[in-house]
Amino acid sequence: MNSETIRTPAVRNWRDIAQPVRSRAMSRGGRWRRVMVGLRTLTAVLSLAVLVASAWYLLNAVTPQPGDLPPAAKAGLLRRLELRTSAGGVLDEAWLRPALALPPGISLMELDLPRLRERLLRDGQIESASLSREFPDRLVVRITERSPVARVRAGSATASRDLLVSADGTVFRGAGHDPAMIEGLPWLAGVSLVAEGEGFRRVQGMTPVAQLLSDAQFAALNLYRSWVSVSLARLESDREIEVATRNGSTVVFAASREYFAQLAKLDYLVERLSNTPAARVRIDLSYGRNVPVRIDPPEPAAPAGARRATPAPVPAARPFFSILPSATTQRTSP
Amino acid sequence: MSNRTTFIGAVEIGTSKITVLVGEHNGRELAIIGRGECPSRGVIKGAVVDYKAASECTHRALELAEREAGERIDVVFLAQTGSHLEGFYNEAAVNVKASDNMVETGDVRTVCELAKAKELPHGRMVVHHIRRPFRLDGRLVPGNPENLVGQRLEVGYWTVHGLEQRLADTIHVIRGFNLEVGELVLSSLAAGHMVTTPEERQNGVLVIDIGAGTTDYALYRDGAAHTTGVVAVGGSHLTNDLSIGLRLKEGQAEKLKLRYGRADVVTRERSQKVWLDGTFAIGDRQFPQQAIEQITAARAQEILEVVKSRLGNAFSLENCAAGVVLTGGTAKLPGIASVAARVFGVPAHLGEAPSWISENLRDPGYHTALGLLYCGVGSRTERLGARGQGGGFLAGLRKLFSQS
Repeated sequence: MNSETIRTPAVRNWRDIAQPVRSRAMSRGGRWRRVMVGLRTLTAVLSLAVLVASAWYLLNAVTPQPGDLPPAAKAGLLRRLELRTSAGGVLDEAWLRPALALPPGISLMELDLPRLRERLLRDGQIESASLSREFPDRLVVRITERSPVARVRAGSATASRDLLVSADGTVFRGAGHDPAMIEGLPWLAGVSLVAEGEGFRRVQGMTPVAQLLSDAQFAALNLYRSWVSVSLARLESDREIEVATRNGSTVVFAASREYFAQLAKLDYLVERLSNTPAARVRIDLSYGRNVPVRIDPPEPAAPAGARRATPAPVPAARPFFSILPSATTQRTSP
Repeated sequence: MSNRTTFIGAVEIGTSKITVLVGEHNGRELAIIGRGECPSRGVIKGAVVDYKAASECTHRALELAEREAGERIDVVFLAQTGSHLEGFYNEAAVNVKASDNMVETGDVRTVCELAKAKELPHGRMVVHHIRRPFRLDGRLVPGNPENLVGQRLEVGYWTVHGLEQRLADTIHVIRGFNLEVGELVLSSLAAGHMVTTPEERQNGVLVIDIGAGTTDYALYRDGAAHTTGVVAVGGSHLTNDLSIGLRLKEGQAEKLKLRYGRADVVTRERSQKVWLDGTFAIGDRQFPQQAIEQITAARAQEILEVVKSRLGNAFSLENCAAGVVLTGGTAKLPGIASVAARVFGVPAHLGEAPSWISENLRDPGYHTALGLLYCGVGSRTERLGARGQGGGFLAGLRKLFSQS
């Protein structure tokens, strides 16, 4: 026989008697003792809580916090701001101080550099930024700016404002730029700006447009200067970029082909058409070797007395013709 | 028990008085630092019959003891008496399991569990399991039989059990003071532990604790309690007999008992009389001293004879070499030791507390409470230690009462 096989009956022991008694069965002294025990327990719990709170407070006191700097570090006040921009940067220190919005009398060690960097990057013109303390009293800000490639007008029926668009589609207000340069930028058409946070969402499809504008500036500056607007309306659907010029003509570029060849054809055609009287010309470079050109003749000047008369029938547009680009593939310098 | 200082209250709820002693136990030493006493009410023959009255005087005694000690009691060791307490003996035997016949822990545990596994009648609960010495192939093993070689291991338990309601009543009286009862110890065992030496218990000794309402007895053999019992007769019966025989009020009879009562008759002159009060005031009167002695002696002798008859075959001259030790308030009755010696046929003497007990606690009325403290501390230490080592539930008591 071993312990595993024993089946002993459960014998009740006096310890099985439930000891708690009801309050009414207690004497006054017993109730008083119970209250005192409760108070003692409460006191113990409170003491423990105070102890834990004190320990927590002490721990916080000895642990350095990001916004809680030692008094020695507070001694050096920020006296100088220095802005270092990348090549082509237009921003200066006059822009920097309000952009950082630093409180007066702040010390160098009190600066929250990550937060300041975040504040700078909220401006779309800033592509990247880094801030560093240079002791004893200087804050150095290094930034890389975005360059505008086009303009866009944002606004409602009551108010509107002009914004700049960079090559990556970032829309920004623009500060420090030469007004003449801004005036020379073409407008973006066929895009819808979507508000996001304090600014606008990036314009999609700006990369081929920026490439076209860049190539045009580089290879055919005379043509580029005549461009008024660039439309992205058919970019996504037909991969075509439509450019409107100052004289009302329209040029359609194929976004999927090399721009230099298209610009060369355009340059050739513009030169060929320079002696042709026309009100508007539409040149479509998206067909490749064949370039349809539509020429709308200028409207004849109507006599003053006949203004209310029945308008004369508009002569039919001249038929399309094709120019073989083989003879015009030579690129001319702008 | 840990080294943290614990203030223990030893409470004896007796028929005539309630005694509380406060002990300061620091894990190694026990010092008695407070005492509280209060006349008992609501208790008859050791049983609580009026909860409110019993609670009031018990709590009063506890308050007095705490006040004298200047400390709050943490836990109570409670003495248990009353005619509802009974005992029986049950033994078991197992064959040693190992092939080399060496006794293992499992053998000891098995035989002990079997010996204790006796079902009790409905409504009764175990107060103590008192183990008697092991026997291995018939030879007595005073200690632990582990690693001894033998084929048959035997052990017996003297199980003391009582009525659940009576036990709960006394526990709830203590709980009414918002104190936990940590140990429940039989009054006779508590008193016996205090007034006998280990040598006496080894040689065999009968301890009779004659209280006011009950008489508790414990017979020790081979170093352990062999038989215990409670007789529902005590000193109050002597008072009652005097009251009836001499037509006195209870208070007057009690006064006469304390002054002139004896367990034997020494007065030869019938004409020798004693005054009730001795003030010669109106109402004071004389009583024959011989009559007083005859009444008290008859009842005292009867109590002792009842104890002897209850013991039956368990008591014999050979097994009680150390004689009879008398304790309790009624043991102060002059001549009772000689009567006990005559009744039991062995030497008898009044129990005395050990010499290191202070003078004001050496009265027989404190023996039970003192024993409670020392007994309870040992039991609790053993029990907590056994629990920590995964031992049995009452390992402490088992060890304490089996071998000391």
